[in-house]
This record gives sequence, C-alpha cells and structure tokens, in this order.
Amino acid sequence: MAMDAGIEQHLAAGRHARAFDLVVPAYKGRVFRLAYSILKERAAAEDATQETFVRIWKALPGFDGRAALGTWIYAITRNTCLMELRRRRPTVSFDDPDSTEAQHAAASIASGPAQDPEGDNLLRLVATLPRNQQEAVRLFYLEDRSYETVAEQLGMPLGTVKNLLHRARKRLMELACPDEVKAA
Amino acid sequence: MNDPTLIGPCAGYEHDLVELNDGALAPERASRVRLHVEHCARCRAWAGEFAALDARLAAELPRPQLSPAFDAQLRHRLASLSRPAVRGDQRAALQREHDSLIDALQRGARRRAVLGAVGSAASTLCALVAARSLLAQNAVLLAWVPEGPERWILLGAIGVAVAIGGLAWSTARTGMPVLGLGMAR
Repeated sequence: MAMDAGIEQHLAAGRHARAFDLVVPAYKGRVFRLAYSILKERAAAEDATQETFVRIWKALPGFDGRAALGTWIYAITRNTCLMELRRRRPTVSFDDPDSTEAQHAAASIASGPAQDPEGDNLLRLVATLPRNQQEAVRLFYLEDRSYETVAEQLGMPLGTVKNLLHRARKRLMELACPDEVKAA
Repeated sequence: MNDPTLIGPCAGYEHDLVELNDGALAPERASRVRLHVEHCARCRAWAGEFAALDARLAAELPRPQLSPAFDAQLRHRLASLSRPAVRGDQRAALQREHDSLIDALQRGARRRAVLGAVGSAASTLCALVAARSLLAQNAVLLAWVPEGPERWILLGAIGVAVAIGGLAWSTARTGMPVLGLGMAR
C-alpha cells in the first residue's frame, strides 16, 4: 500500500508522531470494522478502536517492519478485542464460542420466527454461527465482499477465510426459511 | 432447504458458484461455470438461492460508522497519557523549590548564629574591659583575688563563661544545632 510506504518512511526516519498522524486516517475505518465484527456492538467497537490506536501510539517506536504495518495493526486490534471479550466473560472459554450465544439465538428462533421482523430473524440466524464464522461473515460484508481484506484483518490464510464463509453461508441457507429463499 | 449441499456431478461447482457470486472467480473459470449453470437447473436454483441469501446479508447486516468525535476523543486520550510525565516534572520542580527554600532557611539561621556569637564575644570583651577598669579603680575588690598570673586566669575563666552563656542563648534563640543545642526544634 502506497500509504504504508509513506508511513514506513517516517518510521525509518524516527518521525513517529508524523507516522502516527498518517496511520490514524488510513486505518481507523478498517480497525473499527474489524473490532465491530468481533465485538458486535458499535460502542464497544469504537472503544476498542480508541484503545487500539493508543496501543499503536505507544508501540510505534518499536515497530521493526518485520511484519507488514497492516498485519501488525490488525493483530493489535484483535488482541484488544479479545481482551475486551475476556474482560466481559472471564469464565467462558473461546474454544467453545458458540455455546451461549448460539443457544440463546436458537431458542429465540424456535420460539417463533414469525414474531420477529424478517431482517432481525436473519441477524439472529447469523448469531447462531460459531464465533469465527460470524466474524468472517460480518467482516466480509462490511468490507464489500473482499476475501483478501478479511484474510488480512483476521490474520488467516485466504483459503481458510473462503472455507469459513462458505460453511457459514451454507449453514444460513440451511437455517433460513426455504420458502422465503425460493420466492426471492 | 434442509441440506443445501450440491450432490452428484454438480458437487464440484459449489465453491465456484459462491466465488462467481462474490466476483472472486478467475475470468476463464467463471466462463466455464456460467456455461454449466445455463444447462443445469439444479445449479441455477442453488446459485439463485445463494444470491438471495447474499443480497439479504449485504442489506441487513449492520454497517456501523465511527462517531464524528472519534478523532477528538483519541487526541484527548493521547494528551492525557502524556500528563503523568508533566505531573512528574511539576513534582520535581516543587521538590527543587522546597530544597532551595530549606537551604536558604539554613543559611539564614547559620548567619544569625554567627552574628549572635560575634555579638556575644563583643559583649564579653566589653564586660571584661569594664570589669578591669572597675577593679583598677577599686583595688579593695581585688584583695581576695590572688596576685600574678592566677588573677588573669580567673578573670579569663569568668569571661569565657560569659561568652559561652551568650553563645548558648543566641543558639537557643535561632534554633541552630550548634554544640547540640536547639536540636529539638
């Protein structure tokens, strides 16, 4: 990315404040969308974005360029969000991500999808997916269907992201009302 | 649709149909898949259902935006982070000011003690001179004092005692820790 090259030039010259001034406008949107895809709440995502940039500001003098700047920034973002999730639910293991949310959502859907607006119902279906599939789906549509961007932001290989999205959307096709889908 | 998996000869087209929908399929492969879909009702139906779900997801998933105040809030947070250093500087400046004040007070107390000692010595000297002339005028008062050097030793001892008394009084007044006096202050 040309912007990253400019930032890295400033970093190499020790102009960390100038580099940070370029990092914020270049990355704040993508950092926020990544945080939102993980935390699923706008206010929490904005707080996490603030925290992420504070960490970047502190750590920027130590950035050695071994990883791409974006990779480094997204790793900080993911860590910040995971710490926030851990702070919220310290007793829940991330190895079993879909346990509580999926059960709540499935119970809600089972209790009567006709009572919910159609869109709300689809969002509830998304909430039944495993956490990594939810993140991939939310981020994919937030990032205008770019596999590469999602892979970079989630720190996953491209093939893994494609598989996650494929399985997630197949599961949603399976869960969604077939009559609605066919009628569309 | 209970199981949306394409089976049979079309099973290999599932990923291609998804990537075709997402616009991520290579042009050559995309042409071949489109040709297949034209002649395969099952794949056409599957692709239609997938496209419908895709459109709903794109339309219905929230697309939140950062608040307009984000940049200002970030600047404020970064500024507040630098405050501990400022507070440290202020604390150091206050410490320096305190040290210099204590130093000035000690210098002043020392000066007063020296002046007090000089004053005591001068008073003692004056007293000795006055005593000498008084004794010279009234020789009868010296009748009990032995003759010779002993007389001067005795008079000198009286003078020294007066000087030490004066110095102690001065020290007690100024609070200077001289000769162990005034330490309790």
